[in-house]
Amino acid sequence: MSRYRIPGMGRVDPAAPVSFTFDGRSYQGLRGDTVASALLANGVHLMGRSFKYHRPRGVVTAGSEEPNALIGTSRGPGRFEPNTRATVQELRAGLTTESQNKWPSLKFDIGAVNDRAYMLFSAGFYYKTFMWPRSFWDKVYEPFIRAAAGLGKSPAEVDPDSYAHRNLHTDVLVVGGGAAGISAALTAAKSGARVVLVDENPEMGGSLLSDPSVRIDGRGSWAWLAEQLSQLRAAGVRLMTRTTAIGYYHQNFVGLVERVTDHLDQPPHGAPRERMWHVRAEQVVLAQGALEKPLVFDGNDRPGVMLAGAAQTYLNRYGVKVGDNAAVVTSHDSAWYAAFDLVDAGARVAAIADTRDSVRPDLVEAARKRGILVLTGHTATATEGRLRVKSVRVNPVRNGQVGAGRKIPCDALLICGGWTPSLHLFSHTKGSLTWDADSRTFLPDHKTEACQIAGAGRGLWGYGFVLEDGVKAGIAAAQALGRSADASDARVEGDRPGTGISQKELPTDRSPGKAKAFVDYQNDVTAKDIRLAVREGMRSIEHVKRYTTNGMATDQGKMSNINGLMIAADALGKEPPQVGLTTFRPPYTPTSFGAFAGYHKGATFEITRKTPIDPWAEAQGAVFEPVSLWRRAWYFPKAGEDMHAAVARECRATRASVGMFDASTLGKIEVAGPDAVEFMNRMYTNPWTKLQPGRCRYGLLLGEDGFIRDDGVIGRMSPDLFHVTTTTGGAARVLNMMEDYLQTEWPDLDVWLTSTTEQWATVAVNGPNARKVLEKLVEGLDLSDTNFPHMSVAECTVAGLPARLFRISFTGELGFEVNVPARHGLQLWKAIHEAGQQYDICPYGTETMHVLRAEKGYIIVGQDTDGTVTPQDAGLDWAIGKAKKDFVGKRSLSRPDIVAPNRKQLVGLLTEDGRKLEEGAQIVLDPSQSLPMTMAGHVTSSYDSVALGRPIAMAVVTGGLSRMGETVHIPMPDGTIRATITSTNFYDPAGERLKA
Amino acid sequence: MTTQRHDFDPTPFLVEELPWAPRFSLRVRPENRAALAGALGLELPTAVGQRSTAGGVEVLCLGPDEWTILAPDAAPLAAGSGAAYAQIPHSLVEISDREITLRLSGAQALTALTTGCPRDIDAMPVGQGARTLFDSATVILWRDDRQDFRMDVWRSFLPHVRALLDQVMVELKSGL
Amino acid sequence: MLLIHCPYCDATLPEAEFAYAGEAHISRPADPSALSDEEWRDYLFIRTNARGPHFERWRHIHGCGRFFNAVRDTVSDRFLMTYKAGEARPDLTVKEAAE
Repeated sequence: MSRYRIPGMGRVDPAAPVSFTFDGRSYQGLRGDTVASALLANGVHLMGRSFKYHRPRGVVTAGSEEPNALIGTSRGPGRFEPNTRATVQELRAGLTTESQNKWPSLKFDIGAVNDRAYMLFSAGFYYKTFMWPRSFWDKVYEPFIRAAAGLGKSPAEVDPDSYAHRNLHTDVLVVGGGAAGISAALTAAKSGARVVLVDENPEMGGSLLSDPSVRIDGRGSWAWLAEQLSQLRAAGVRLMTRTTAIGYYHQNFVGLVERVTDHLDQPPHGAPRERMWHVRAEQVVLAQGALEKPLVFDGNDRPGVMLAGAAQTYLNRYGVKVGDNAAVVTSHDSAWYAAFDLVDAGARVAAIADTRDSVRPDLVEAARKRGILVLTGHTATATEGRLRVKSVRVNPVRNGQVGAGRKIPCDALLICGGWTPSLHLFSHTKGSLTWDADSRTFLPDHKTEACQIAGAGRGLWGYGFVLEDGVKAGIAAAQALGRSADASDARVEGDRPGTGISQKELPTDRSPGKAKAFVDYQNDVTAKDIRLAVREGMRSIEHVKRYTTNGMATDQGKMSNINGLMIAADALGKEPPQVGLTTFRPPYTPTSFGAFAGYHKGATFEITRKTPIDPWAEAQGAVFEPVSLWRRAWYFPKAGEDMHAAVARECRATRASVGMFDASTLGKIEVAGPDAVEFMNRMYTNPWTKLQPGRCRYGLLLGEDGFIRDDGVIGRMSPDLFHVTTTTGGAARVLNMMEDYLQTEWPDLDVWLTSTTEQWATVAVNGPNARKVLEKLVEGLDLSDTNFPHMSVAECTVAGLPARLFRISFTGELGFEVNVPARHGLQLWKAIHEAGQQYDICPYGTETMHVLRAEKGYIIVGQDTDGTVTPQDAGLDWAIGKAKKDFVGKRSLSRPDIVAPNRKQLVGLLTEDGRKLEEGAQIVLDPSQSLPMTMAGHVTSSYDSVALGRPIAMAVVTGGLSRMGETVHIPMPDGTIRATITSTNFYDPAGERLKA
Repeated sequence: MTTQRHDFDPTPFLVEELPWAPRFSLRVRPENRAALAGALGLELPTAVGQRSTAGGVEVLCLGPDEWTILAPDAAPLAAGSGAAYAQIPHSLVEISDREITLRLSGAQALTALTTGCPRDIDAMPVGQGARTLFDSATVILWRDDRQDFRMDVWRSFLPHVRALLDQVMVELKSGL
Repeated sequence: MLLIHCPYCDATLPEAEFAYAGEAHISRPADPSALSDEEWRDYLFIRTNARGPHFERWRHIHGCGRFFNAVRDTVSDRFLMTYKAGEARPDLTVKEAAE
């Protein structure tokens, strides 16, 4: 048994020792321990160094609010986590832990020189110090700050763990499994409501776990607890331990993080490390209890100084005494009970110094009976001890005068500055707070959500009150759900009610300017820093917070906010509510990125859509590129080919003979109904009335602002039926836009829209031999140019499959697009590939598609347009039905800005020296103008063209369409490139090849 | 007390890909619903989420003017639609290949769905259905029994949905 | 994440199933060509930017697919009500008086 473990006490399993290491040394704890309790059982208080001054620090709390005992934990390769709270991490076999912020060792740390230089590091240090000279910033200041900043070290490897996600809907969510939460949950469950009870600890019970001497309904509190839990289970309550409510959002939406495996010696295969729960509850009961505050005085941060409630928890829950000879400094009754428990367990308590002049006589009597020296009306003014507290100096305070100090030797100092309700989740909902002048603390006031608040979370103290309050909250929740719940009451014996006061920093007989009286342990903020901030002009508590960093550490000010406010209010000469409290924001405790990501990592990071032909491309070794959510074959390299070579070969083969392309990702919309043509006329710029069934047309879609939104070829299948295609990325957007107009502007039209993007698989066949390939496969249709000219569409059979066949081209070659039901897509692809072997048919990817279309000057919406390009700008006036009275965007085409001269217009660019331009490169008209130059446009598309034997580019240039033949300049880092403005139709400008 | 025991579950739920079957999207104005239902010999429920089954044809009302129809024999439906069109304007579009249907069944089928569906699936009555979300994919969910669901997923989204369900399967098998 | 009542499904469902669609009760002019440049500008770009109750459109895009109208308080981010597309803008003073 470890030196400080008390046999027969605590809820740990004495028969189950667990080994672990801390800073390379092996220790033994017990099953049920946290790392903190196990280290304390071994007499280890020094667990870390502080962030700024590198002061030695020990554990202060026994819960998730711990500011000091942050450790690095490792659970095997890739499983290192910094800043784990030793008070939360449960012991498990083989756990490796290490302290942080120290070098070379925890006991001897070079960085502690900061502590000697503390005068330099006062509030606003960064703002004041790193101001000048400016040239020092890059070389001196930033490297210094970067080296000194950061808490713990970041993991360097990919997290091998999995994380899970759930959505949960319930009638009642109770947050906090202490006395109030349990009674609320049971009361609500008995009304028939679905109830979820969550608690961040490994077991339910809250403070009951630290108060075994209290008796409820004639039983010890632990026996009562066990009985309540079995009743909760029987009532169907979902009990979730190790589960932290991290955020409370609108309409009772609460985020929970469940720690699933970090406590297990051998996590089962596939078990997630953590699970994020999105809970939607009709009613929420907040029963989170209260957090103990430290007292602020010089030396209140030495290892061995801890909250009295924490010491009580270590004793009763873990069977660990935090020292042999403790002293207590308090302003609240609760610390007296902690002292009594320690003495009753065999430790010595030298003295209780209480800042209050008068304390309940029964407490004083009980202390004296235990041989504890009672010092009321006292302050603490110093502690001693380098790596562990050795003594505390206390002084009497009479009429505001601090008397002579006396030194009390101790190896543990228990402090208690009162309790503050855990207001965090309530504050997430923007619930308002009220200042309770008696207890000098904030309490929850006006609620914005359907919630109840019970127990110590609203300032109640003592199990009798808290249990009664929990029942009330349960009844209120049930009644809000329209259910009736019965009241029940519990009989509490040996209750420990108490009161206390909140204080600013304790008075001292020494110079307050030299006191290291810590308010925020984690960020090393002292009372002096807060007063300095006020002196330097900070008036709002939000400014004080940012100037001093008080409450901005990973513990989110759980222990420091109220103390900081007390001091700031005193410095400002105001009451605390007039100064106000800073806002608590989610998450309640530090939360891993993994928990937020859930299943979205690796292959399921985001959706990857695949076409029916994707498996073939993958088998052929295609290189893929993402296009919106799709992955598309980019190019099909042959052995030894790089991208450039592969694309050049694909381009050459398609123009010389025939190529094939998976166009399945194109958006497709079936527009059907008696008013289909009227709808098309209103949506698209083009005229549709005279388009005959069996013919198709390039369609251009604008927004009402007149800018190009989308385009695509649209076939009229019958008088009342259009087969609309959209860009790959625009499919959902276009359908949404069409539905919007149809449902809200033109509900009188008899027309319906159905997405058929995924109903069809689409294969484009392009090249002079395209017809010859398809003729072998097509039945029921004469493919000759006479019968089936360019821009035709027909239903027929291709390779034995029912098909919609389009004669269209996005390459400038003779082209067809075959649509078959998607389940046959791969079969169609293979059939065309086989039929094309005679003509060396070449599968090509999106890159070749881009090159071939650019050679023809066909635009890609979103690449050559950017949301500010009109049809005129893009040279697409011909696509506008001039005779149409109206269509979406028409009115904007005559707005002053749209008809103004010198708009950027889409043109071709050919470089004089034959260099390929970079897409996005800026264009200027006069390269010798002074800086900054006037930009005249930018390159939108640029490729090496095999057909033209040179690079080509498209660009938007100010007034470009009237600058044909002019020279523009593209300044690049290695010199300025000259280019000539040309038409975008680089290849076969007469379009002879289309008509083949 | 720290729990170190957990129960492995070899088959928390079952995922099957159902074979191809004819499927249609039917759209008609609500005021013409009854007439069209009569003409096509279908029962077209009026409330979103309601289903009907008659003569082997299943219908799910997805929106106030939208129904998904599973008709093993497509020909009569198409013929009826063509005949009724002039009198009762509507749209009947075949979407048999657009979605692929997964069947999820078994003791934890509902749990598996709660990993991706934000709406309260447990509150959906058996025998109803809805278009909703699974992860970021739009799906159509059919609840056939308490722990028996069909989920129609757009074809290209299926690999993602299945990969998620595979992860969930591994997770649920672990018993934690 | 908010809960939104879809007036077509008559169900209150998670926000993730819905998409915002801009301010409500801005009808496309019957004859845009009759509008002055200023009038057309106002139709295109000028919006209320309300502090408080805001009339706006949502679409139950991952559900029944319908566009509908809502009144949402932009300060509290709470929905006051939702109603079907095409219905008249509700009189909030009447609604408040009734509550």
